[in-house]
Amino acid sequence: MEKSLQASEKRSGKVPDNASSEELVKMEGIHKWFGEVHALRGVDFSISRGTTVGLIGDNGAGKSTLIKILAGLIERDRGKIYYRGKEVEIESVRQSQQLGIETVFQEQAIVDPLSVARNIFLGREEVHSAGFGKIMDDDKMLEETEELMDELNLDIASPDQEAEFCSGGERQGVAIARAMFFDADVLILDEPMRALSVSGKEKVEDYIGKAREQGTGIIYITHDLHRVYPVADRFVFLSRGEKEMDVKKEDCSLDELSKLYRRGEE
Amino acid sequence: MNISGKDIALWFIQNFVWLLAGAFFIVFSVTLGGMFFNLNNLHFIFYVSSMIGMLVLAESIALISGNFDLSVAQNAGLTAMLTGVLIIKFNIPGLVAVFLTIIIGGILGAFNGYFIGKRGLNPFLVTLSTYLMFDWLTYVIRQTSILDLPGIYMFPGQGKIGGIYAAIFIFLIAAVLLFLFLKKATYGNYIYAVGGNPDATVMVGVNAGNVVFWVFVLSGALSGVAGLLYTGYAGAVTSTLADGKMFMAFAGAIIGGISLAGGRGTATNAVGGIILIGIIEAGLTMMMISPQMQGFLKGVLVFVAILINQFRTTFRKRLLMPS
Repeated sequence: MEKSLQASEKRSGKVPDNASSEELVKMEGIHKWFGEVHALRGVDFSISRGTTVGLIGDNGAGKSTLIKILAGLIERDRGKIYYRGKEVEIESVRQSQQLGIETVFQEQAIVDPLSVARNIFLGREEVHSAGFGKIMDDDKMLEETEELMDELNLDIASPDQEAEFCSGGERQGVAIARAMFFDADVLILDEPMRALSVSGKEKVEDYIGKAREQGTGIIYITHDLHRVYPVADRFVFLSRGEKEMDVKKEDCSLDELSKLYRRGEE
Repeated sequence: MNISGKDIALWFIQNFVWLLAGAFFIVFSVTLGGMFFNLNNLHFIFYVSSMIGMLVLAESIALISGNFDLSVAQNAGLTAMLTGVLIIKFNIPGLVAVFLTIIIGGILGAFNGYFIGKRGLNPFLVTLSTYLMFDWLTYVIRQTSILDLPGIYMFPGQGKIGGIYAAIFIFLIAAVLLFLFLKKATYGNYIYAVGGNPDATVMVGVNAGNVVFWVFVLSGALSGVAGLLYTGYAGAVTSTLADGKMFMAFAGAIIGGISLAGGRGTATNAVGGIILIGIIEAGLTMMMISPQMQGFLKGVLVFVAILINQFRTTFRKRLLMPS
């Protein structure tokens, strides 16, 4: 429960000032092979608190592989990962979550037949003791989901509504709400605007803004430069498994970034 | 609490199987009069339903997890045979043997669970092969019946408590526990989640392979108990104890509205499916309908159930989809 207390403090904006520029994640010389395919070739990557990094690159550039390593879905073959300055091993999604890394996958990790509340708490349900064992505390999960929906202006009829009946934007909102509730220090968004309507995209941008205000470090993976440019502070460009560029927004206009991106693709 | 027309419509479509069971009950009661509508007959319908009911529960949990199990009935038959042989060879006490059926059934289920959950093999192919293995192994072990079994071992399948067959209580307890487990336990929630979207379940950190493994263990244990009840019902272990029951296990689950796509359905509606089949079987038998025609009509019933389920899904979506 300590975790959710921290989360609510964070959601209320109480982020310590001295933590504002803290380096949250640092990945050094990450290599990954899939059989003969060398998917990541010694990639370095880092993100600090309260910043948004646009991780860009074409299909097959290695973006998803890099974040899957950070999210604990696959293991790296070589390289080091530091979390808040300390070297860590991330061998499972659980370990990644325990560190404070939450991922919103482009496949949208949402289970249609489950309610919005059960989706948000899936894998980390609120439980209470029933004498013979622990059972899920649905009332608590519904109540907390309702609060979270209010904070994110997530306009879903009820936290008890099945996720199947949410729009694309709402589903992304649910996935982001899950990440925020569990006190994400680092929020990974893999193509968060994919298949969304214009209003859905605006909603997701709004959620991202809120997470950032609360001090979350956001990794925004996309190949849509026009969407990521306004919200990111830094851009890391991957091409064929290598880091081609790591540039701050103030040092690079959208036009320059587009040119570099096109050149990197060639 | 405000109850809207939509809530009532939703309740009706979600519990449609009970309405259908009620409708058939009334039709047979009116047509057959006192021969059908009497307590003894109802008692017997519930008694027979409780055995197939255990298999329907076993099938339902596999279906909810997005898998299916062709071997539930053969598991029941093999478990009964193995336990029977162990009793006569090693003189195992009856009470121990009762619990042994749960363990043996669970182990047979674990075989399916390991290859489907942990090795990612196709559930149809794995359970088709275990269907054949379990079925023929039963004959390989022994082709003659085992008659001389301890009274306490036979009690769950043929004994009575307060004039009511113990099998009915055992089935109802299993159904209620399964219902609560699926609805309230975190692991029950994972079973729905794995059935609804296994990839998403993995992405949030749940070990989906483990969940599937334990689903098949549980399904196997329930099948083992079915074997125990069938033994009591038949008064012996025979090598054909659960033959032909696999079809009915599926039918009960489908009629009860368990989704073949996974992630949806409740144990209570599966019970409704079992009772509906029990009522129809008893009614048709009393109407002197031939077994061949009954078999055909059961097929029709399953087909109609599939159509009803499709209509139910579409109608439910229309009701719940935000305008």
